[in-house]
Amino acid sequence: MIMVRAIVRPEKADDVLAALMDAGFPAVTKFSVAGRGKQRGIKIGEVTCDEIPKTMLMSVVKNADRDFVVETIMNAARSGKKGAFGDGKIFICPVDEVYTVSSGVCETATPEEA
Amino acid sequence: MKEVIAVVRMNMMNRTKQALTDAGIDGFFAHEAQGRGVGLVNPHVLQGAASGYEEAVALLGEKGKLYPKRVVSVVVPDKAVGAVVKTLIEVNQTGKPGDGKIFVLPVSDAVRVRTAESGEKSII
Repeated sequence: MIMVRAIVRPEKADDVLAALMDAGFPAVTKFSVAGRGKQRGIKIGEVTCDEIPKTMLMSVVKNADRDFVVETIMNAARSGKKGAFGDGKIFICPVDEVYTVSSGVCETATPEEA
Repeated sequence: MKEVIAVVRMNMMNRTKQALTDAGIDGFFAHEAQGRGVGLVNPHVLQGAASGYEEAVALLGEKGKLYPKRVVSVVVPDKAVGAVVKTLIEVNQTGKPGDGKIFVLPVSDAVRVRTAESGEKSII
């Protein structure tokens, strides 16, 4: 399985959550974060803001769903048709094991599930 | 080394902290989060609707509500992963939906900033 972590605009987070729900990926964890990107924050005159509020969405999905999930998040989080600076990033990393606490079951125990 | 990320109930944090300390895990990182799982129906709402409360009936259609959660993240040596996962499950298990998930991710390296030690030495 893989962990998809998407950093998106806070105002777009609800759109992304709704899109993921419609696409059949209800399980998501949401964090409030602050950060800056390649553009070194926002510069207005002499003032620079380099702690721009963002929302991080974390979801663990099967390897096979990777492209679909990334595309879903991308389409929902992009502002306008072409997108703009500050729309965010998506990071993907491998997950070795997934456990459900309530049942104690290891979900990656069967190889075809991974 | 592995990183164990656990999404758990808010009210279980104190017990989780104590249990990790008892299990010999002294350092960990935690933050607040909101989340939802694969269960689309809130059992409390369902129970309320079955008992005939109008407020609960009105809430029946909603989906995708986010619940407050806590996220615990621990980086441990490979051989300690099983013990940590077992501890986290034992402490947080109530058997009802919403207990949370535990993810185990590979970590390629860790560095202690104070001494610049790297590898497993830096996390023990």
